[in-house]
Amino acid sequence: MSNWYNVTAPDDDIAVSSRIRLARNLTGLPFPSRMSGQQLAELNEKVKAAVLESNTPFAKTLKFIPMDSVPENQVYAMVERHIISREFAANRQGRAIILSDDESISIMIGEEDHIRIQVILGGLQLEKAYDTAERLDTLLCDRLGFAFDQRLGFLTECPTNLGTGLRASVMLHLPLLESSGEIAALSDSVSKIGFTFRGMYGEGTKALASLYQVSNQITLGISEKNALDNLSIITKQLIEKERQSYKGINHLKMEDICFRALGTLKNCRILSSEEMMKLLSRIKLGQSMGIIDIKESPVRLLIEGQPYMLMRKHGDMSAEERDACRAEMIRKALE
Amino acid sequence: MLCDNCGKNNATTHIRSVVNGVVTEKNLCGYCAAKQGYSSISNNGLAGMLASMFSDVLSSGSNSAEKRCPVCGASFSDIAESGKVGCAECYNTFYDELLPYLKRVHGSTKHTGKIPNKAPLAVKPEKETVEDLRMQLNTLIREEKFEQAAVIRDKIKKLEGKENE
Repeated sequence: MSNWYNVTAPDDDIAVSSRIRLARNLTGLPFPSRMSGQQLAELNEKVKAAVLESNTPFAKTLKFIPMDSVPENQVYAMVERHIISREFAANRQGRAIILSDDESISIMIGEEDHIRIQVILGGLQLEKAYDTAERLDTLLCDRLGFAFDQRLGFLTECPTNLGTGLRASVMLHLPLLESSGEIAALSDSVSKIGFTFRGMYGEGTKALASLYQVSNQITLGISEKNALDNLSIITKQLIEKERQSYKGINHLKMEDICFRALGTLKNCRILSSEEMMKLLSRIKLGQSMGIIDIKESPVRLLIEGQPYMLMRKHGDMSAEERDACRAEMIRKALE
Repeated sequence: MLCDNCGKNNATTHIRSVVNGVVTEKNLCGYCAAKQGYSSISNNGLAGMLASMFSDVLSSGSNSAEKRCPVCGASFSDIAESGKVGCAECYNTFYDELLPYLKRVHGSTKHTGKIPNKAPLAVKPEKETVEDLRMQLNTLIREEKFEQAAVIRDKIKKLEGKENE
């Protein structure tokens, strides 16, 4: 079955992925920071039974995976595919996840909250992702009973998630808004209205492949629908702004930039992940502007070219070996 | 710059710690940072932000610091220090203390989202009547859970006080 980054999706010229996360806790158990190993094991079993013994389509597509059974390379490759958080990977002893065949649905058990339901889809598909997460939430809630307070909503370990427990985010590719410098002002205004805007794969405000993530910050006093609608409106405006920037661009210069990137990727023998991300970002822009006509998805290559994703396929490697392996993988894909 | 720990990957996380006035700095890649327990900045950022909001509680050492959650035993200063709540019942125990902070974080203190079909068990304070509490109290006394019973007894007193007003 194909992962989200292997299939085409609405608005995926700019929106790379949409992600929904619901934070939930069971009643009758302390929150994870105060849980014993035995309580964690008990929690794993309860959640596993609730999903896999349910008579729903979820039971057929989801698998229970104890993290202790997963080799280290595979664990960090999961982080690179955004299936689990880095924190979950680093403290994975005794923890488990439930994962769908296509990896679009994952449930982290015993992370910051007892249950973190996550649905990730390509492009801009917040509603569809939320629908799936919500159905799974209802199933689990009916079978397990979640800690809920009429005033404060779903109760979470960190009060910043209280209420809906919903964090919705969209990853956007915004190379032109970045190069024009508009991104800083946009980031400011988006933050002022209760959203988080940050660069991915990079330090501070500088995003390595011009990838940015917009997400809602407030979870109490706002309904799921309103939070999703607001995020969707903001995202669409950012997408429109990026598309409009195509007009003011010197086409010949842009062709030069994109085809040089393609030339390098088709011929390189050593490729660091940093350089890969920079060049793939240009390929993606070239595709979106209709300059480069290739079938291969730069997003897929960007994910599969991450260090642990390479080692997951080809075994342990030094950084130098990885750079050679990465160059070969990309060359072959672009042949 | 390469990671100080593995020397293989590029350093993306700069960690500067000050312990007793001694400054140490290191540059780590994402993987080594995670392995050494420096989780992603966004996580720390939120918990950190929260902990800093609670800082006045920590310095004042108010009475609420003495009160403990009857279920998990967390005190309000435990919560303030870590930015993490101990269990679901803590929200009930420290409701009044938490409210101003929730207001500052979310701008609101009233949930308006999804309500589960089976809004369950432990925490349903709005519907809690003196009658319900009396039943809970009797059960707890029968089970000799006196500490928890004392909490319920105080709740009943509080509720009855309000009714008499």
